Amino acid sequence: MTLTSDRTETETPAENPPETTPPAAGGRVLGLVGGTIGLRRLGVALGVYLACLAVFALVVISKGADPLGVANSMVHSAFLGTGSIQQLLLRSVPIVLAALAVAIPARAGLVNVGGEGQLIVGAVAATGVGVAVGHAVPGPLSWLLMALAGAAAGGLWAGISGILRTSLGANEAVTTLLLNFVANDLMLYLIYQPWKDPNSSGQPQSRPLAAQAQLPYILGHWLNLAMIVTGVAAVGALLLLKRTGWGFGLRVVGGNPEGGRRAGLPVNRLLLSSMVVGGAFAGLGGMLNLAGTEFQLRPDITLTFGYVAFLASWLGRHDPVKVVAASILFSAIALGGNGLQLGYGLDGSVVDILLGLIVVAPLVLAKNRRKAI
Amino acid sequence: MNGVEQALIGGVDGGTAILIPALGELIGERSGVVNLGTEGCMLAGALAAFDAGTTTGSAWVGVLVGAAAGASFGLLHAWMTVIRRADQLASGLVVWFLALGVTSVFGVSYINKSVVPLPTLAVPGLSRIPWAGPILFKHDALVYLGYLLVALVWVVLYRTRIGLTLRATGERPEVVTATGGHPVRIQILAVTLGAALAGIGGAQLSVGYVDNWFNDMTSGYGFVAVAVVLFAAWRPAMVLLGAYLFGVALATASVVQAHGVAINQYLLDALPYLVTLTALVAVARRGSRQAPEGLRRALTHSV
Repeated sequence: MTLTSDRTETETPAENPPETTPPAAGGRVLGLVGGTIGLRRLGVALGVYLACLAVFALVVISKGADPLGVANSMVHSAFLGTGSIQQLLLRSVPIVLAALAVAIPARAGLVNVGGEGQLIVGAVAATGVGVAVGHAVPGPLSWLLMALAGAAAGGLWAGISGILRTSLGANEAVTTLLLNFVANDLMLYLIYQPWKDPNSSGQPQSRPLAAQAQLPYILGHWLNLAMIVTGVAAVGALLLLKRTGWGFGLRVVGGNPEGGRRAGLPVNRLLLSSMVVGGAFAGLGGMLNLAGTEFQLRPDITLTFGYVAFLASWLGRHDPVKVVAASILFSAIALGGNGLQLGYGLDGSVVDILLGLIVVAPLVLAKNRRKAI
Repeated sequence: MNGVEQALIGGVDGGTAILIPALGELIGERSGVVNLGTEGCMLAGALAAFDAGTTTGSAWVGVLVGAAAGASFGLLHAWMTVIRRADQLASGLVVWFLALGVTSVFGVSYINKSVVPLPTLAVPGLSRIPWAGPILFKHDALVYLGYLLVALVWVVLYRTRIGLTLRATGERPEVVTATGGHPVRIQILAVTLGAALAGIGGAQLSVGYVDNWFNDMTSGYGFVAVAVVLFAAWRPAMVLLGAYLFGVALATASVVQAHGVAINQYLLDALPYLVTLTALVAVARRGSRQAPEGLRRALTHSV
């Protein structure tokens, strides 16, 4: 067992709820020790974040740019320009959903690094359906069909890794990673050959969705339907995890699979279903990104969103509400990188460094770290 | 030279870029730490080697600098996982993402530059063996380093005290402590050394095989290296097999294309990953039982 004093303030899903009433005998002493450690941890957290910012500033300076100007530019392109907030929310759609695809299996202790591939197959399936029926059927019906196809494809793709894990014990982090590359090559094959838009010049891409199959803006042209669906899906994920027996089962299995097995829980079915449901969220994200923003497949359509989402889920410690918040924050940072190429001659991927650094802190400060050797 | 020979020669070249990182990863995993950041260490090694290679004009300096660059990212992973006991899989991905960002930002100025690559050294005598000679013994020196490392890692792992301590650290660190060893130090050393080898693997790509730098040039080879170690069930000889299997699949794709067979390039590109996945799956059940005890905890997140 870990020391009581070593698990004071942050709650982790995998563990028992924090002790509200410490054992009577050493209660006060333990509380005191807890408090001291809490302060120390706060200090460490501040130190880690400051170190992260310093490293990022160093990178920026070493490329000959002014760090304050860069910070200003990032805030400006993410929050302040005309339509920025709208852009931000629309851009965060695939990241939020792919992050939930990480968070849901993580509840059961699985590491889904396949958000990228699941976004891709979701977008691919949606394109297949959307291009085929988009002209023929009314908009809402094609949206529904595309969403179902995207979610099914994402769930299936993640399910492959789920089955490999439950039936053969193949590590899901490695198989989901490998499948990302397969998914990307599959998409490239489709847009370079069978699905290639004959009318496009330059970079190959698929035929665009018919106008009626594209997700519309509603409420005074401000909210895109993709944002609303994402919001509903996020609430759905929250309810699934916190209010259903299935969600509870995932937590039990994630905390102690052997215990879950002994308590009669269908452990393998829970593990597999968590991957499939997670993958379906990401697949839906790929569909919404396609039907709400992109309208046609092109190379780099996901732009490492799946990996950004992975980091966001760890920043939010796989808690649905925090994960959504972290995803929007990360979308803002990713968006903030857009102006840097023009304004400061910095490659846009400089923000990847910032994203990675931000996640270092929760990782090294997490409560459910492995036990000491 | 027919297509099969071309695929095998390319397979040894490309396989080396997986083999050396995979051997490094094997060392780390034997100590109980998995490093998905191997991908990032390779990227860092590839860019650093290319940088040093173009600046100094010596690809060898590049290889050394590449190893150092890989090691520095490995040290970060070691700090997070061994000292701070962060989740190993997540920490590895953070390391990769950091390396991806750093190399994209600093690599911009090296795109489309050329480097004097590592020279091809034909082994006297051996390279004249009919058929097998050119396939195995007419490469740059890093390929031979790969052969040597397989033997060296095997000997150290199974025939020396250091290897015993390393394996014990991955299985039962408390026993190492009880006998006066320092599991934490051993893990830090193992992870850093493994990452240095990943850096050399990256260098093999940028100054030995492809002789070029482009963003994300390792395209998942580091992840494949981790998969190869799982496939190999932590045995050096099987790592050799797995790495060359991937290398041959990779080379087959380009050879098939060069011969004008009408299969889409991107379908062929997926082949090496599918081969790796299939190989991994084929041995997964038996392999996972052989995992070092400490590593099994890290991989399955069970207590």
